Amino acid sequence: MVPESTTTVRPELAARTAPRPRLTLANVVKSFAGRTVVDVEDLSLGNHPIEGLIGPNGAGKTTLMRLIMGSLKADSGQIRLERAGHRDVVLSRLHAHKIAQCGVVKTNQVITDFDGLTILDSLLLSVTPERREFPLHLMGERATYEEHRAEIERQLDHFGLENTRRLALSAGEKKLVDIIRCLLLKPAVLLLDEPTAGLPGEVTQKVMDAVDDLAGNGTTVVIIEHDLDVIWNLCTQVTFMAEGRVMLRGEPSEIREHSTVVESYLGQGHV
Amino acid sequence: MVLDTFLISGLFHVVMLIGLALLLHLQLGLSRIANFGVVGFWGVGLYAFGVLYVRVDWPFGDPIQFVVCAALATVAAGLCGLLVGWLIADLDVDGVMVGTLGFATAVALLATTEQDLTGGALGMGGLRFPYDTGDVAVNELIWLLVLVALVAGILAYVWLVHRNPYGRLLIAIGSNEPLAKSLGKPATRTKLGLFTVTSALMGLLGAMYGVMVRFLEVSSLGIELTLAAVVGLVVGGSVRVLGAVVGVLLTVGVFDIVIQSYIPLPADWYTQTIPLLREVMFGLALILVLVFRPLGLLGHMRRDRLMKRIHGA
Repeated sequence: MVPESTTTVRPELAARTAPRPRLTLANVVKSFAGRTVVDVEDLSLGNHPIEGLIGPNGAGKTTLMRLIMGSLKADSGQIRLERAGHRDVVLSRLHAHKIAQCGVVKTNQVITDFDGLTILDSLLLSVTPERREFPLHLMGERATYEEHRAEIERQLDHFGLENTRRLALSAGEKKLVDIIRCLLLKPAVLLLDEPTAGLPGEVTQKVMDAVDDLAGNGTTVVIIEHDLDVIWNLCTQVTFMAEGRVMLRGEPSEIREHSTVVESYLGQGHV
Repeated sequence: MVLDTFLISGLFHVVMLIGLALLLHLQLGLSRIANFGVVGFWGVGLYAFGVLYVRVDWPFGDPIQFVVCAALATVAAGLCGLLVGWLIADLDVDGVMVGTLGFATAVALLATTEQDLTGGALGMGGLRFPYDTGDVAVNELIWLLVLVALVAGILAYVWLVHRNPYGRLLIAIGSNEPLAKSLGKPATRTKLGLFTVTSALMGLLGAMYGVMVRFLEVSSLGIELTLAAVVGLVVGGSVRVLGAVVGVLLTVGVFDIVIQSYIPLPADWYTQTIPLLREVMFGLALILVLVFRPLGLLGHMRRDRLMKRIHGA
C-alpha cells in the first residue's frame, strides 16, 4: 500500500473534519486487448476534502474514474462507497445510473451534451425526481422548475451563464453546463475530469470556488487536471498514477518535489 | 346520406398510419429506437384480435367481446414489445433495425404457416363491427370516428410528453444515453417501458384495423406498412410533434386518397402499377427529404421556443 500523508497545504480545508463519503478501491484491474490500463491494488479516496489525481497521458486516470462511475466494468476487484449513516455500497456491482443515484457523479473530459436540449432543459434534467419522469406524470414541468429555480439561478449567476432557453453553443458553455448539472445533483462524491480544460481564466476560478464550496459542505471531490496550478492550489492530497498504477500519494508539496514525479511527469522546470 | 366507402377506407388507413407514425415518433424521433418492425407489433394486435374474436367461443357478445379481445390483443402486442425490447436493449442502431425487422418477418411467417389459427394464405373472415346500424357505410364511418378519437388521444399524449419531464428524459436518453445514465437516469428501463407501451398501442391499432376490414390477409403484414409510417415520419420531421401528421398526410394521404380517388387513372393500373408507383414515390420523397432537408419538413425540435413558452423568456 502506498503511504499516505496526513498533513495538508490548506488549513481551512483540513479543519473540515466531518466524516465524508469515501471511495475504496481494492485490486481493481482493467485491460483492453491484453494491455492492462488500470491496476490499482489499494486506494482510498475521501480522507481529504479535495484530492487530485495526476499523471502522464495514458496513466489510467480517466479509465479509473470511468470504472468508479460504472461506464466501464472492471475485469476484477471491488469499488466500494462508504458514507456515514448509510450502508456501504459496492459500486462495482451496480449499473451506471444506480451509481449516480448513490451520489457519485462525474464531469466529462470530452465535451458532451444532449443534442436538441436547451441549457435549462439540461439543468432541469439533473434535478427532476424520478417520480416526475413517469410516463403518466404529465403535469410536472412547472412544479419542477419552481422547486429548483433558486438553486439553478444561483449556479447560473455564479458562472455568469445567461439566456438558458437556448442550446449551449460553445465548447466552454457545454463544459460549464456539464459542471453545473453535476453541482445541482448535490453529490456525495464528485469526480472532475479536467474540469477547467478550455475554460478562460476567470471561469476557471469560478469553477474552483464552486468546487471548494462543495467540499466545504461535505462532498468528497476528486479531480484530474493537467493545469497543475489547480491541483497545487485546490487539493490537500494528491495521487500520482503511471502505467495504470498508483505510484505515490501525499500532500501536494511532497508530490511536486518527488524525484519520480519530476522525472516522469513534471520535468525539471517545475521544481 | 351518401358515403363513399372507398374514401372512408382510405381515410381510415391514413389516420391509422398517423397513429403508428406518432408512436414511432416517441420511439425513433425522441428515444432513437430504430423500430423497423412496426408492422410486426401491429400484426400481433391484428391477428391476436382476429383469432380471439373468431376462434374463441366467448360467453358474451359484442360490444364486450370486442373490448375483451382488443384488450387481450393489445396486451399480446405489449408483451411482444417487452420481449423484443429486452432483446435489443443493448444493441446499436443497426442491431435494433435488424432485430425489429426480423421480428416483423417472424410474425408474418407465423401468420402464414399457422393456418389452423389464422387461416394462413387463405385469410380469415368472421370479424364484424361491435355494433350494427344496418348500413355498412355508416358502420364504417362510425368506426373511422372511433379511430380518429383514439389517434387524437395519442396526439394529445405526445403533445403533453414534449412539455413535461418524461419527454425531456426520452430526448436525453435518445441523444446521449451514457450521459443520461451518469445523471442517475434509468435509461434501459425507460426505453423498455416506452417500447412496451408504444408496441401495445400499435397492436391496438392493428385490432381496430381488423374490425374495419373484417377479413385478415397475411399480405397486410408486408413491410409496406412500416415503410409508410417511417417515410411519413421522416418526411414530416421525426422530432416534431406534428411531423408524423404532416408527413403521413403529404405522403400516404396525397397518394392513397388524392391521387387514387380523384385523378382518373386507367382501371388496370390499380392492381399492379399503383402499388409499385406508390413505393417508388415514397422512396423518392424519402431520398429528396434526406438530401435537401434531413430533419424533415418541420425541421428542428425547437426546445428553445418551447422552454420560453413554458418558463418565460
